[in-house]
Amino acid sequence: MNIRSFGSWPITIRVAMAIAALMILFGIVASQQVLSTLGRLQDSRLQEFARLHAEGLAVALGPFVLHKDVWEVYDTLDRAQSNSTGQRILFTVVGDERGRVLAATDPERAPVDTDIAPYANDAVAPDTVTAAHGALVVRVVAPLSVQGRTVGQLVTELDVSDLVAQRRTASLALLVGNALATLILVMAGYFIVARMLRPIELLAGHMGEAGGAPRPIPENAFPRSDSVLARLLRNFNEMTGAIEARAEAERRLAERERFVSLGRLSSSLAHEINNPLGGLLNATDTIRTYADRPDVVRRSAELLDRGLQHMRDVSQAILQENRMDRSGRALVRADFDDLRLLFEPETNRRRQRLGWEMLGCEDVLNRFPSAPVRQIALNLLLNASSAAPEGGSVSFSLASESDALKISVADDGPGLAKGDLDRLMSAAPLVPGGGVGLRLVRDLVSELQGAITHEFTAGLTRIVVSLPVSGTLRC
Amino acid sequence: MDRRQFLGAVGSSGLLCAPALGRAATTFRLGLTPVFLDNDAIVIDQLRSALSDAMGNPVDLIQRRTYQEITAMLLDGSVDSAWICGFPFLQHRNTLSLLGVPVWHGRPLYQSYLIVGVNDGADGLSDLRGGIHAFSDPDSNSGFLVTASDLARMGEAPERFFARAVFTYGHRNVVRAVADGLVRSGSVDGYVWETLALVEPSLTEGTRVVYKSEWLGFPPIAARADRANSPLVRQFGQVLRNLNTTPPGREALDLLFLDGIVDGDASLFDGIALRMAELVERR
Repeated sequence: MNIRSFGSWPITIRVAMAIAALMILFGIVASQQVLSTLGRLQDSRLQEFARLHAEGLAVALGPFVLHKDVWEVYDTLDRAQSNSTGQRILFTVVGDERGRVLAATDPERAPVDTDIAPYANDAVAPDTVTAAHGALVVRVVAPLSVQGRTVGQLVTELDVSDLVAQRRTASLALLVGNALATLILVMAGYFIVARMLRPIELLAGHMGEAGGAPRPIPENAFPRSDSVLARLLRNFNEMTGAIEARAEAERRLAERERFVSLGRLSSSLAHEINNPLGGLLNATDTIRTYADRPDVVRRSAELLDRGLQHMRDVSQAILQENRMDRSGRALVRADFDDLRLLFEPETNRRRQRLGWEMLGCEDVLNRFPSAPVRQIALNLLLNASSAAPEGGSVSFSLASESDALKISVADDGPGLAKGDLDRLMSAAPLVPGGGVGLRLVRDLVSELQGAITHEFTAGLTRIVVSLPVSGTLRC
Repeated sequence: MDRRQFLGAVGSSGLLCAPALGRAATTFRLGLTPVFLDNDAIVIDQLRSALSDAMGNPVDLIQRRTYQEITAMLLDGSVDSAWICGFPFLQHRNTLSLLGVPVWHGRPLYQSYLIVGVNDGADGLSDLRGGIHAFSDPDSNSGFLVTASDLARMGEAPERFFARAVFTYGHRNVVRAVADGLVRSGSVDGYVWETLALVEPSLTEGTRVVYKSEWLGFPPIAARADRANSPLVRQFGQVLRNLNTTPPGREALDLLFLDGIVDGDASLFDGIALRMAELVERR
């Protein structure tokens, strides 16, 4: 499972992930707001403290700094620090107007008369001091003025470790809180969505498990609390009934089509039987008339025999076609001979030329069931004969390749109409009014995992059915 | 109550603002310099109480930041008497009269100490050249004159010998300045340092004495000479010298770690006079 296939994840997981993403986003924004507000409050307090500290010391120290009274500056700083509460002030150093140290709360760290600059390096004004940078100690610098004249400066180190710790604790609390809230909401989202989608999953489960047909959902599985979903499931049940009815109708249509095909052949076949009958009846009259002439009787008997054999072949072919069993025997070359026998009278009737080419390997033919392949070929031939004009041409060829059996039917008709082409090439709903012969071809080819190609070039319509063969061939 | 609070209280009572108008005629005013432990309110209260009891009248203890201020008050009559240092006493020898000299460890004498930080390697004054030095007061014998005169003997002056000289206006402050590392060395009253070593050892533990001066006259209690024979001043001198005979007086003296107060002689301060002379001479 990767990100690219997120769309294929179960919707319960996707909703949970979406909730997690939104919660994390919300958590980040909310945490940012909380920390920002906390930071502003802390900085405001810190700045006020720094300002009061600097202002208070400035008032007390101003005259001493003006007179460079080292002891009084030190004494004031020392007392100010010992009187301060909270231990926020770590260190204070006071310099004169030349930047030399006058005194510091820690004289050993900042000896008198040394340069104050190192302590004021990264110091900021009391109004801009902040604990937001994560440093545990911040420095504040403020000028010392007496009667409007700057006589020195004051640098103070403030301990802001408590504020930093407070911010860190708040961050941690927000992180843990948000993580817990996200986890709880994700789990809740997962279970709620899973519960909400249970009817949908039920629906999906009945929609067509393992490629099977949709089957109705038992009424007792309908959700009682959600009338919309219950209506949906009810509609689904009605739809499954409709689908079943449609499938049944299609089965019946397909069955009828077979009889239609045979029906269309019947007049031709009647001619096939009727035409020789006149000759046969003449032969019996001849025998009856010339019963004493053995040579005439023999010739008439031979004539009778040929005619009857032809009729027997025709009747056997009809029987064979009519006895079509979808799970029946394997395809053999003789099936196509039968097919030709049945179909040729149709072309004769319309004075059409029939081209017939059989190149298929017997082993390839045997890989397929007889009935559907014969039905495919017969429907295509009947369609081609219908399409071809009187005196036109229809051709049939059978070829086997290393991986497929190819059945090709061509005619010199005007080409397939769009409706016919849709029936043959697509699964689009059938347009009322047309036959189902071509759609039957398509369905049968699909069942055999095959493919259909169609082309119309130079006044010739050619439909090629390619049926795949698997395994090792013996030809 | 520290010195400033004490002064604030005194000031708000009007005693300092209108000394002649706001107090009873018999109130005795004693000026105090930071020669002793002037930051201890209990000591001040006990001393006031003992003196008032003995005098039979109120005694006001008046403190100022510098020796100069108290000396000036003594000279202009703002105070009736003052506990000053031998150095200003000698500076105004002709106009001042001794009322008594405190006795410490059996003698009316004390020393000046030269102190450095406890980890400082200096062995004497000459090792402290170029450092920052804390003096107590420019009119203090132990807190200035001794070191200044020693430097004069070396042909030096404080402003040249030291990188910077700081006046803390209090012997205890000198000890603080040295102990905290604000300055490298300091000149301090030996009596104060020894007493601090008993009552505030944490302070003196941060310092080390590298030099002790000769024994010199203990800071005396003096009055203006022209008032020395007034009944009130004479009574006060008597009270001082008998302070160790009364329980409150004894208690006050115990708090000050003093044995008593004797009728001292000006010759006690000859050593200081010698240093004064050397300082003037060698400058």
